[in-house]
Amino acid sequence: MKKFVINLLKILGITYVILFIVFFFDLDGKLLYYLWEPNAVMHYDRMKRKDNTLTPYGKKDNVMPDSEVKAKKIG
Amino acid sequence: MKKFSITGFLDQFVGVQAGKKIAKDVKTGELHEKREALHEEIEEKKAGFDIKKAAKDFWYGKPHGERRLGDLYIGNTGLYKHREWRGVKDTMYYFNCIWLYNYLNMGLDIFKGDEPLAFFKGVWRYRWMGQTYLSVMHWFDRGLEGLRGEALKASAWHYRAMVSETIRQFMRMFAADTKLHLDEKNEYWHKTIAHDETVSGNIFYPWRDVLDDVPLQMIPYFVSCHVNNKTVLNYIDAMQSIGLPADPCPMCQAESGIFVLDDYPDYSPVMVTSNEACDGSVATSIITDWFLDRPLFAMPQPMRFDDPLVQKHCQEEIEQCWKFIEKEYGIPFDFEQYKKYAESFNKLTEFEHEKWDVAANTPYYPINSVAQALYRIYYSQDGDREIWHKTDAHVKKIMDKCVEKKIETFPMTRHRAIAWSCAPLYYSNWCTWAYNCWGINTIINMDSLMFDQMLRTDTYEHALEDLATFNELAPMRSMAVGGHEHIFQLWKYMEQFNCDFVIMYDQLQCKGMQGIKGMFEDEFRKRNIHAIWVPHALPDKRTVSRKEIRSIINDYMITVMREEPLDPSLLDFDDDESW
Repeated sequence: MKKFVINLLKILGITYVILFIVFFFDLDGKLLYYLWEPNAVMHYDRMKRKDNTLTPYGKKDNVMPDSEVKAKKIG
Repeated sequence: MKKFSITGFLDQFVGVQAGKKIAKDVKTGELHEKREALHEEIEEKKAGFDIKKAAKDFWYGKPHGERRLGDLYIGNTGLYKHREWRGVKDTMYYFNCIWLYNYLNMGLDIFKGDEPLAFFKGVWRYRWMGQTYLSVMHWFDRGLEGLRGEALKASAWHYRAMVSETIRQFMRMFAADTKLHLDEKNEYWHKTIAHDETVSGNIFYPWRDVLDDVPLQMIPYFVSCHVNNKTVLNYIDAMQSIGLPADPCPMCQAESGIFVLDDYPDYSPVMVTSNEACDGSVATSIITDWFLDRPLFAMPQPMRFDDPLVQKHCQEEIEQCWKFIEKEYGIPFDFEQYKKYAESFNKLTEFEHEKWDVAANTPYYPINSVAQALYRIYYSQDGDREIWHKTDAHVKKIMDKCVEKKIETFPMTRHRAIAWSCAPLYYSNWCTWAYNCWGINTIINMDSLMFDQMLRTDTYEHALEDLATFNELAPMRSMAVGGHEHIFQLWKYMEQFNCDFVIMYDQLQCKGMQGIKGMFEDEFRKRNIHAIWVPHALPDKRTVSRKEIRSIINDYMITVMREEPLDPSLLDFDDDESW
């Protein structure tokens, strides 16, 4: 039990130090800025979307069936 | 024979070039000069190094004039080489009680939501979600730069509340969203009211226990501009791509662009709109109606709200809105629920008055300007929620301590400023910069002073009357485009808050405020008031960049005020590509 507690404390201590390094050197920001964001932007730019501008001014129905959206080509 | 390798060739080439340069430097004596300069630099550092001072700086953090916060940035990204060392106590507070605490609670808030897994679907589906909200800790960093002690704590609590409420709202939207549930209209969808962000949450109190109301643009547009200002540009461009000229208010452009790009969550069977309290944007309701295609109730705030007949009209509109909700949801109006939440909301207003009193009359106010402004406009527009009460309790403790112990929270204040008109959303933290660089402490701003009224609940008539007034004093309406007598309340508040300086926001695409610029300039001259016009385009950083805003303030402080900056490293730096 004592060994388990000591090991647990060691793991928590190491995790805490690693987290402090991430915090202090802004590694979370750098990861999101250089890795996450460019890939996320690429994903959203390529996403298939309904063309809502086809909505008739007096309409009350779905403008584009989902099957048509799925078949839509990007670009 | 040895095989040819490109990397080997490049290595050799680079090595040969470096060797050539060294040989050249030796020949011209440049190498010797460089070596001498380096030795001198090391000697200077050695001579100037004071171990006691270094230990003191490590323990307490550097004094304001020596921080050089601008040196921490990486290029124009806004990222930090390393986060600021604020002394052991404040750095550990920031790390444990702000950075770790908020990351942990952001996760917990998601799991407290109505459908936790919908969070991941939302990140995948919506640009405003995936590109913006993960970088939220940088929003904290920007707003809280340079803060110490109680000011750091109290301001961070405001940020925490806004993040928590934002998560609550988008989790509700995602739980109800048909786009994330294969077009299924689930129970949440049937029990959520969608409304414009400038329709007050107070309107929906009569159904708060049975329905939830979530403003449609608050998260996809308004909050996202503050956290990551790049996302909104897509929506502005989308609206212009279908023919809207570039000069109308970019806020309305962005809100409509969300529909053009099909990036809005479909989470409610109805929509209640306003005119965004700005008559340049009446058409926003029309565009919303076109794209949303569902029962919609338009409730525009009137321009000349002092007229008693207009008040009567506004009351009737609120009653019609209530009937609309009763009819669409089949749930009767409940005045007791209204009373319960309105009375609870009044407690938030009471504490706000207490905060203003401390801000106006003492140097012990522990909330920095950006936290004050955003928190106030967020909760007063959103209406009564538990998180605001919890936050106010934390902040009250800190504020009472500051007053009792006479802790000067912004000790380098040179000027007490009031900020007037609508702020640049992409640079709401300019005031953090202005304090760090010039000692300009923005005590209060126009957005905080709106909604300054209690909601009576003794009778239905009084409740309706006060609610109508509250609705009329919507953001931008009450003191920006609500008639010059309201806009000129600036002089009264300058006196009340003991301010000697005005930061006058100049929203270049707001036709209402542009019309009154000359009158303001006349008054500033007549009253001998120092005022800096800060041009901007609300969410669109491309029209006036943050760097240009700083440069305008720098020019005024150097040429007119003839002052020296507190932190010269903050005078000129690039952050065009930052969040």
